[in-house]
Amino acid sequence: MSKKLLIVDDESHIRMLIEQTLEDLEDNGVELLFAENGEQALQIITTEEPDLVFLDVMMPKMSGMEVCYKVKKEMNLNKVYIILLTAKGQEVDRQKGLEMGADRYMTKPFDPDEMLDIASTILNA
Amino acid sequence: MTLHTELFFKLKVLKSVFKRNLGLLALIKDMRNTFNSELSVISVDNQLLYGTATNLPFTFELSDNHTTYATLCFDKPEAKLIGEVIQLVLQKELEKKNIANEVLGLYREINMIYNFSEKISEKIDNVSIAQTALEEAQQIIDITHGSVFILDANNDKVLQMARLGHNPNPEKSIANQNPILKQLILKGTSLVVPKAAIEANSALNHLKAVMYAPLKVKHRTLGLIVLGNEREKEFTAAELKLLTTIALQSASAIESAQLYQKGLKESREREESIMKVHKASQKFVPHQFIKSLGKDKLTEVALGDQVEREVTVLFVDIRGFTTLSENMSPTENFYFINAFNKRMGPIIRNNEGFIMQYLGDGFMAIFPNGAQHALNASIAMQKDLKTYNNQRKVKNRKPVKIGVGMQNGRLIMGITGDIERMDAAIISDTVNTAARIEGLSKYFGSNILLTDLCMKNLSDASKFNFRFLGPVKVQGKLNPIDLYECIDGDEPNLLKHKLNTLKLFKKGMDLYFNKEFAMAAVTFQKIFKKHTDDLPAKLFLNKSAHLITQEIGNDWQGIALVDTK
Repeated sequence: MSKKLLIVDDESHIRMLIEQTLEDLEDNGVELLFAENGEQALQIITTEEPDLVFLDVMMPKMSGMEVCYKVKKEMNLNKVYIILLTAKGQEVDRQKGLEMGADRYMTKPFDPDEMLDIASTILNA
Repeated sequence: MTLHTELFFKLKVLKSVFKRNLGLLALIKDMRNTFNSELSVISVDNQLLYGTATNLPFTFELSDNHTTYATLCFDKPEAKLIGEVIQLVLQKELEKKNIANEVLGLYREINMIYNFSEKISEKIDNVSIAQTALEEAQQIIDITHGSVFILDANNDKVLQMARLGHNPNPEKSIANQNPILKQLILKGTSLVVPKAAIEANSALNHLKAVMYAPLKVKHRTLGLIVLGNEREKEFTAAELKLLTTIALQSASAIESAQLYQKGLKESREREESIMKVHKASQKFVPHQFIKSLGKDKLTEVALGDQVEREVTVLFVDIRGFTTLSENMSPTENFYFINAFNKRMGPIIRNNEGFIMQYLGDGFMAIFPNGAQHALNASIAMQKDLKTYNNQRKVKNRKPVKIGVGMQNGRLIMGITGDIERMDAAIISDTVNTAARIEGLSKYFGSNILLTDLCMKNLSDASKFNFRFLGPVKVQGKLNPIDLYECIDGDEPNLLKHKLNTLKLFKKGMDLYFNKEFAMAAVTFQKIFKKHTDDLPAKLFLNKSAHLITQEIGNDWQGIALVDTK
């Protein structure tokens, strides 16, 4: 079964940048999925149960924090590895995110090499 | 990008477009229906990207800058338009990808700079900052070699702080090209070195590409970072800019490190000079005195600080100093006193005492932790004098003798004076008494004299040997004081004699106080005959002999009345 990676960001150019950073994973059988808001993300997570989610914190309607809380604390989908994307210097977000059950966090603008490294390690791809 | 990697990149984008660009796929479907044409797209690496049919009559090469990356096959000539649309979409997609790559490159740089600043902000020495700069540069710029140079404080010598990569000719290192490096540093510009210049410099021969940037802080250049690659390549403007950024960050870190080191050095020097003053002050006001006040440093002591405690006050006096110094010049006299004090000072300190005051031909010392320490010091001083006198004998000098007297009592140690001129002071009657007791040592012919209060203060009196010398009334004191002679500091044969006659001496004293002066005289005569240096025995022999013929009242108690001063 192929591994699934979900990219969640309300800004299309960020989604594209993450896609471009991680597209090499497709060669190793990883399927890239996209969501542009929290609700959509939650729906995809429920149906697809991706192995890894890059989740933006600042999104309209439903924030990344909320999505994270629902997935980890309410739905108990612990096998979904969630990496929160926060703005640089938002240490408060970081602490809160970890309380919400996020597995780790990365700051934006992200280091592409680091992001690919982490994703490859987690997905073993 | 080489031709091959460019084609590879385009094919990748093309494949991703056919996989993910749902808008394009829908458009193709619509157009196909409109033209009613079969359609297939085959990439140059022979992959069918769209459609199923092969062997269609018409083909259209999907190309870009004369590079063909796929072929569109169709069976209605109008369907060629679809090819043009795909080409256009792909072109836009490639542009988008290129921009994204640029942005990701910038992201990479931002993170590198951020991480680099974070790393070097923790460093406080130039070498590790320089090393980190080279390591970070290697992460983000394609280099095999690097060096960081810093101009020393006098703008004189260029020092290599860190190095990266192997130099096949170390003797030809640019680190040795001091004048050139200095010139580059003072110039303060960055540059991708032209190929011809690299080839012309024998120290750079092993490299194919070289660039450098100054370590600049404001208008000052501290040094230079030089990077190189031994493989064929050309450094780009973007890479030079990255190097310049690293250099700027490093420069400010190096400057702070230098300031930090300077500050550290200065504060160390300050601390050292304070310590020197502190140590010097200890020589004038003994540390133990300050400690007794519950303070640690002289600077903590304030006017009016005081403490009252029981101590042993000890007086030492050089016997016959006037005679001794008669033939000395004032300078010789001073040297003699200094030589004497130099020997005695450590003995006092080693026995938990401190010298409170030097008195010309003697000194006063204080022992806060028990009279046994004062007694031990006294015995040690007497023994040390023997060694000293042996040395003096060789030089034909007269022997030195000291008298020691001590008294125990409560005493106030404190800081007195006024705000401008303070001094350590002790206030107590004990001091006066101790001085008088020392004065009595001459009268009795004893080396070490102590009072009953000292005896009571000894932790273990059985460790010493004493002779009771009776009550004495000293000047200025109402009550007589019981006096003892400690014999342990006497010369070995005198000590032996006194030990052998201890009982006899006590018998003599008992007879004396019982007013049996004739018997007492006989007893002291017996003792004195055995050793004519036993001066207390001689004294009591004379006293007894004198009293035999005297009228003695009932109130006679044998109290010695001595005028010591």
